[in-house]
Amino acid sequence: MSKNPQQEQTRRQMLIAALRYGALGLLGATGGAAVFAGKKNNTQNTVWQIDPEICIACGNCATYCVLEESAVKCVHAYAICGYCRICFGFFGPEPADINEAAENQLCPTGAIKRTFVEDPYYEYTIDESLCMGCGKCVKGCSTFGNGSLYLQVRHDRCKNCNECSIAAACPSGAYKRVPADKPYLLKRVDHV
Amino acid sequence: MKSLSATANTKILIAGIIVLAVAVAIIAVVKFDTTGKRGSGLGREFIYDLGDLGKVDPNLILYKESAQAIDTGFTESRAIALNSRGTIYVAGDKSVRKFDENGNNLGEIKLNDAPMCLTIDTDGKIYIAMKNHVQIYDDQHKLLTTWQSLGKNAVLTGIAVSKNDVFVADAGNRIVHHLDKTGKLINRIGDKDKDRNIPGFIIPSPHFDLAVAPDGLLRVVNPGNHRIEAYTYNGDLEFSWGKFSNTDLKGFCGCCNPVNFAILADESFVTVEKGLTRLKIYDPEGAFVGVVAGPEQLVQEGTPRICDTAAECQTGSFDVAVDESGRIFVIDTIKNVVRTFTRNPQKQ
Repeated sequence: MSKNPQQEQTRRQMLIAALRYGALGLLGATGGAAVFAGKKNNTQNTVWQIDPEICIACGNCATYCVLEESAVKCVHAYAICGYCRICFGFFGPEPADINEAAENQLCPTGAIKRTFVEDPYYEYTIDESLCMGCGKCVKGCSTFGNGSLYLQVRHDRCKNCNECSIAAACPSGAYKRVPADKPYLLKRVDHV
Repeated sequence: MKSLSATANTKILIAGIIVLAVAVAIIAVVKFDTTGKRGSGLGREFIYDLGDLGKVDPNLILYKESAQAIDTGFTESRAIALNSRGTIYVAGDKSVRKFDENGNNLGEIKLNDAPMCLTIDTDGKIYIAMKNHVQIYDDQHKLLTTWQSLGKNAVLTGIAVSKNDVFVADAGNRIVHHLDKTGKLINRIGDKDKDRNIPGFIIPSPHFDLAVAPDGLLRVVNPGNHRIEAYTYNGDLEFSWGKFSNTDLKGFCGCCNPVNFAILADESFVTVEKGLTRLKIYDPEGAFVGVVAGPEQLVQEGTPRICDTAAECQTGSFDVAVDESGRIFVIDTIKNVVRTFTRNPQKQ
């Protein structure tokens, strides 16, 4: 039986094609694995955080988090705070009086505590168990005061989702990934 | 036959599931708020709304913008002053720039550091306060002298000169340094003193201005108390005026205002507030006269825009200077331009 040269060529071609596709598949698998590993590595080495200089305190952090109670909380940079008697992070824009009565307070959940220090200074602290991260106090403090109240993702509760739903809905792009060994973007004293 | 029908039904079912899944996916993608602009969905009690407080009755606005804004070219402007000939000096970035009233650049004094505030003496000397010390230049921009630092905690935010004296407002130490014209300290004004009935300055943020009034008394802002206080050069508190109010235009808004002021030739005051950015006029006794410009005129024409980011809010404190004819020059620290306001003759 004589060999059919066309049939032999087809087998060779088939072998070459198999090798090509095999190599391509291997390349694809390697690339995919690298991307996956990179993403996993990125997630492991970074965490979500809010840049306080860009944040506009829109309120989305309170409602977009996948957790029932948002991982975003208000924090206070005491070194920046003016310890004002008339603090607009604490009082509503039109307070009936300058005292701690509930109707004068800005925070809808009463999460800010006001403590007398010495005349005329007061200290303001956040009760994180009540704070829902709406940022209303942040807006008031930034507008009238020194901007010492600001929002941060608290990493004792954040799930560090790959695709954070708050980040997706952040209108100012303040939500970003930061190195896990420096998980907070803290405000610092800068008088000048 | 039965088998064929069952296969067809299965295919229809699979197709239906696929169509449903695609529909759900499309709805999810379309509905998902990837911009965040649809809002948080929180109720009104969670919204910080200053819209109504930012509005000013147009009948109370006594001034109008009367000239093209002068572009200073600074990325961070801070303070403004005028000399007796009407030349405009603006401090910003790391220099002081001079402009005529038409906006022509008349020169620049380059500095090693950021200037905080400045004033021009009647002899043309330019007193520039840096963070913790004062530098003096002649009118040809030659450095004459650099005074010693007023301390590592000093944050100088206001400077004024009289015939023989220099007064420097120090927000860091919450006092006014009274010096002679050689830079020698004469006394400190404003230290808390119960026996002298001096309450002390309350300065929550680095905004602390002062001016020498024609009546021979020093006027100093006490922003945390929302008032302007009058001191003798010896540091005795003579009187004060001003009150807090967020709702009454006659009062000063926010935690700490006014941030800056200037004294007109008729001894009335032009005050600048931050938060609800506005310029107002008070008579020499502190009675409210009217408004130069409110948030609608100063920040964004047409809408009382309140600042968004913390950084933007913190740069929203304008400075003001006046000339002998009563024109008011404002350094708009957001747009980094000088804006000129003159009294509207139709509004008396």
